Amino acid sequence: MFFFRYDRRIFQNFDWTLFALVMSICAIGVVNIYSTGFSLGENASPLYLKQMQWVFFGLFFMMVAFLIDYRYINRAAYGLYVFSVASLIAVALFGHTANGAQRWISFGVFLFQPSELMKISIILALARYFDDHKSREPYRLRELLIPFGMVMIPCALILKQPDLGTALMIVIVSASIVLFIGMNWKSVAIAVASIFVMLPLAWHFLKDYQKNRLLTFLSPENDPLGTGYHIIQSMIAIGSGGFLGKGFLKGYQTQLKFLPEQQTDFVFSVFAEEWGFLGGLALMVIFTSLIIWGLKIALHSKDLLGTIIAFGITALIAWQVLINMGMVLGVLPVVGIPLPFISYGGSAVVSLMAAIGLLMNVSVRRFILQR
Amino acid sequence: MDKPGSLQNGPEPVDFRRKLTVVMILICAALSVLTIRLWYLQIIKGDELKQRSENNAVRFRKIQPLRGLIMDHNGVVIVDNRPSFDVLYLPARGVDHEDLILKLREIYKMKSVDFYPAQPFPRTLKSYLPVRLEKNVGMEKVALVETNSMDLPGVYVDVTPIRLYLDGEITAPIIGYTGEVSKEELEKPEGDYASGDITGKSGIEKALDPYVRGRRGNELVEVNVYGKVIKNLGRIDPVCGSNVVLTIDAALQKAAWEAFEGRPGAAVAMDPRDGSILAMVSSPSYDPNLFNSGIAREAWEKLQKDPLKPMSNRAIAGQYPPGSTYKLIVAAAALEEGVITPETRINCSGSFDLGNRTYRCWRKNGHGPVNLHRALVESCDVYFYTVGKKLGVDRIARYARKFGLGDVTGIELAHERKGLVPTRDWKQARMKEPWQMGETISISIGQGFNLTTPLQLAQAYASLANGGTLWRPRLVQRIEAAEGGVVKEYLPEKKGDLGLSGKTVELLQQALWGVVNEPGGTGYAARIDGADVCGKTGTSQVVGLPQDEQARRRKKIAAFHKDHALFACYAPARHPEIVVSVVAEHAGGGGAVAAPIARRILKAYFDGKKKDRPVEVAVRRQTAGQAGN
Repeated sequence: MFFFRYDRRIFQNFDWTLFALVMSICAIGVVNIYSTGFSLGENASPLYLKQMQWVFFGLFFMMVAFLIDYRYINRAAYGLYVFSVASLIAVALFGHTANGAQRWISFGVFLFQPSELMKISIILALARYFDDHKSREPYRLRELLIPFGMVMIPCALILKQPDLGTALMIVIVSASIVLFIGMNWKSVAIAVASIFVMLPLAWHFLKDYQKNRLLTFLSPENDPLGTGYHIIQSMIAIGSGGFLGKGFLKGYQTQLKFLPEQQTDFVFSVFAEEWGFLGGLALMVIFTSLIIWGLKIALHSKDLLGTIIAFGITALIAWQVLINMGMVLGVLPVVGIPLPFISYGGSAVVSLMAAIGLLMNVSVRRFILQR
Repeated sequence: MDKPGSLQNGPEPVDFRRKLTVVMILICAALSVLTIRLWYLQIIKGDELKQRSENNAVRFRKIQPLRGLIMDHNGVVIVDNRPSFDVLYLPARGVDHEDLILKLREIYKMKSVDFYPAQPFPRTLKSYLPVRLEKNVGMEKVALVETNSMDLPGVYVDVTPIRLYLDGEITAPIIGYTGEVSKEELEKPEGDYASGDITGKSGIEKALDPYVRGRRGNELVEVNVYGKVIKNLGRIDPVCGSNVVLTIDAALQKAAWEAFEGRPGAAVAMDPRDGSILAMVSSPSYDPNLFNSGIAREAWEKLQKDPLKPMSNRAIAGQYPPGSTYKLIVAAAALEEGVITPETRINCSGSFDLGNRTYRCWRKNGHGPVNLHRALVESCDVYFYTVGKKLGVDRIARYARKFGLGDVTGIELAHERKGLVPTRDWKQARMKEPWQMGETISISIGQGFNLTTPLQLAQAYASLANGGTLWRPRLVQRIEAAEGGVVKEYLPEKKGDLGLSGKTVELLQQALWGVVNEPGGTGYAARIDGADVCGKTGTSQVVGLPQDEQARRRKKIAAFHKDHALFACYAPARHPEIVVSVVAEHAGGGGAVAAPIARRILKAYFDGKKKDRPVEVAVRRQTAGQAGN
């Protein structure tokens, strides 16, 4: 096969550290979901089993993303991007609706959430673009018009679902990549200024219900019964965990179902209630190590492409961790952003595991790439 | 190994090392901030939050909105709201709820009141969703619960608005009743109901529920172990429902109800100029206030098993043979089809022979030679047997349909029945038998298969009274927002035209005048001072016995086998303002029983007009939320 040559070094230099970090986070995730599902009914909810299935499913994609040289994967970057956008359009046309949002495509047995795939596709597409258009000078606004469009198209589609959290994530990660590879400071200033000018204009075109959603998003105090309740319950749960926690399956904020969204966005409060500060600190350390490790991979990559891919994926994980924990701990407004590998969600776990595969890919190929 | 961070394949190596170091430091700093926050929450504030998690509960409370008021056309309130006190229980930690209810029973015993559970205790409790222990309790229990709150952790009294039907059973058939949302309604995706919501279950309450209901509010409070609110976490105020202005006249409605004196039957009073229903009574009726906080099982069963069916609105769902009131339609058909002229005289000998059967006139000795006018005035059966035979059933049916019979009138209420206008095809399809001539004879005097509702009867007579326009009967004038302003206006709706010639209309109107005002007229008992009444009596057989056989048995006939008495009329003769149809079940002759009832309704109408009552708008408007507190 032209895109995959067997090379002993791939396995000799396999990134066991990265693998171990990710698998330990996944394991914590499954155990934690088991705890949230514990009181769901007499015959315990199979949610944790499902999550386990997704992890195994994700391992397969991780291996695929790892084995194929990322420079070959890079050739398919635009194709993957177009596929993701098409999937988002399909969602808009005949997607599955749940909790008032149309985010999924139903495959009968499971629901596929294209916006999760989009998070990876946009990183690969931007990496491809900047690798194709290398520049010795920091990029200026004019040179960034195409990447800007590449980000905005999926964003608009995801906003329409509506899923502000994911759209925000795509913007933040893309902006991080652009700032990382270098942008003319004057251009940054102009871009920021023009966003402020455009906002009221865009506001004008929004429908009332969209405006309301955005307002609630920007200031959750306007929706005290929804997000305010979440925050208070989350902080009570975390705080009542104390230093050692209440113990596995003993968190009653969790077990009494005080906590809303406990298997998705507020999953960390469940963990912190049952495992206390020690557990929370441990998870914090594992995440920090994962992020630092990812940045190291970006640093040691042999080419620009590998650096951008590794940086992009690490940025995606880092931002999600920071925003999710910030919101659960009550220092950031409530935005629907899940905690990577810990929150329940099939599409998210699978696409994140595939992303880790890519990270391993970059990590191992610095030992192989010549030049 | 090459120097890490430098790129050899780029056009210009960019030094990412410095940038990545900065990023690492930033991320470590951010994660440290989060860890400090975690420390702050779990270690510094840990004890306090632990206490809160153990002692305090967050209670989520739905605040039921005030339903819109329902008023008559003068703005007189017919349906209002009143506060109802419920005893609720918010599951508290470490409290055994069976003990708790035992304790509550004991406390009640001090004042010798009983505990009536509102619902079986749910198997699974949600810590933030209160359980309702008792509904609509008296002030005594409210005081007991409040003063003993220390012994009853988690138990508290809540106030919600419930309906107050000021006219009770008088308006119940129109207004309907409310109750808690049912499981089926909850499952409807478009309903937007939550459990515990109050919805309209029948009548106007149901038909206009989306307007009247309002929008519920929510409240989130933190309470301590004793159920005392210690912190308000947020509140969304409820929105009042819109008010409904009906076409009904409350005073006339009351008069019509009283005119029945409790006898079973129904009456409809309608404005022939636009189809507005001024009164609609169905007797016996029920008290809709019983349903407000869930009707007791015994009361419900009693209503359901009552052979007089008090829950059904006879005015729209009672189907009766129209009897001689139907002669108006046969007469119209005969004139229009040229079967007779106004002068055609038919000799009534008291009976009519067809084949080997004899059909009798109600007057044994016959009316002698009569023309159309006299035949209607004296309600001669033989005249109409003869005319009906000439017309045939299908031609009669065509005219009956023009008068709006045999189909729903389209009034705003549910469960309206269609009645029945038989035709040859109908019988063939329904009974697989051909039409018999004898059946046409029965049809021509409104017996046999014919069925009409009191509302259809009023609609038919209204269309003649106004010269030929068939209006859709309407109950709702407009919907007004609680804070004022019209939400929706319901305009009169023209459904069709009788298509009768002016001469025919005039002839029929004169005959109806004669029924009430000429000597020998059967509707003599409907006359009132000050307005010329025009009308037609009817007596409909309940059991299809041959006439002579029925006469023989009449004396020992049980109440349920007596004839229905009917009367349909309008007044004044020139420029009619009101049409009244009356059906008195098993009451006997139309002229003797139904006409006096109609007379009382008409009298109440014209007396009320005479008084020229000032516009006394007794509207009691309330603002949302007040009753919820």
